[in-house]
Amino acid sequence: MKKQILVWMGAVSVVMLTGCTQSMAQSPGHGTMTPPMTTTSGTKAAQLRAGLNNLFSEHVYLAGAATNAALGGRETEFKAAAGALDANSVAISKAIGSVYGEGAEKAFLPLWRRHIGFVVDYTVGVASNDKGKQDKAVSDLVGYTQDFGAFLSSANPNLPKSVVADLVKHHVVTLKDVIDAQASKDPARAYTALRTAAGHMQMIADPLAEAIVKQFPDKFSG
Amino acid sequence: MGARGVIGAGSALAMVVAALVASAEPTPAVNIQVFQFQPSAIDIKPGTAITWTNRDDIEHTVTSGDPEHRTGRFDLRLPGRGTTTTVSFSEPGVYRYFCDRHPSMRGEIRVN
Repeated sequence: MKKQILVWMGAVSVVMLTGCTQSMAQSPGHGTMTPPMTTTSGTKAAQLRAGLNNLFSEHVYLAGAATNAALGGRETEFKAAAGALDANSVAISKAIGSVYGEGAEKAFLPLWRRHIGFVVDYTVGVASNDKGKQDKAVSDLVGYTQDFGAFLSSANPNLPKSVVADLVKHHVVTLKDVIDAQASKDPARAYTALRTAAGHMQMIADPLAEAIVKQFPDKFSG
Repeated sequence: MGARGVIGAGSALAMVVAALVASAEPTPAVNIQVFQFQPSAIDIKPGTAITWTNRDDIEHTVTSGDPEHRTGRFDLRLPGRGTTTTVSFSEPGVYRYFCDRHPSMRGEIRVN
């Protein structure tokens, strides 16, 4: 079995490498005298955008790992995933703090953790087939989107509350799809949903980065 | 006017000046912004009123005590941006408060 998995992983690696090679070969700048990408990708604005994208997509993958372990009854794995997920939450709050100060960092972390708690509630509701608990968790999550929108809108006037709230609502919906697929023991659907949910986070990270750069152009030049 | 009269007039003037200075002191204010009470701790004299102003586009509350131990002294809603509420503190002491909707938001009034 182990041998089979290694063979399968090897095949996947070859496909991935081939894909990368083709992609690089088709890149418009490949092999030409165009300036190296570092002239633009190394700016503070670009670093901010890449950093937020990384943190938010990591959030989804770790959340998906935690809910999958929870639904599978794998306690040790769940605790490890939940620990990593919380470390990600702390990192996101520090990113917020690096822009808006320690007070905002301390205010953001419990607010962010709150929605993770609601996701846990939903997962427990799904695992126990408790529709009431699921509905309550969804209602709490929808309410939470308003709080999250208000937080960012208050910190940055370039981020309208309603727009942020809608984007976070979509995050909640896409993550709910992941949990539902995991609960129905459909790995193909679960991983497709996980990619969709992680991909959606760019819709939050990019506008957030752009709004911060607009608010502090001197701090995040480029 | 004798010396006693001058001293008496001086004392009256001092009282008026003190009253004017006292009335000119701004009312202590706490802003609620980015889900924080700013400043989170404030020192006042007995008999002073504090005004909270909500700068966030969401409902907050100013609720006495802390989430684990509410004192019931005040529980005031600030339903949205621009709303205000005021509480007077006559007795010395330390008055903790929090937001009931966002329990991690905490503040403290020190009356001394």
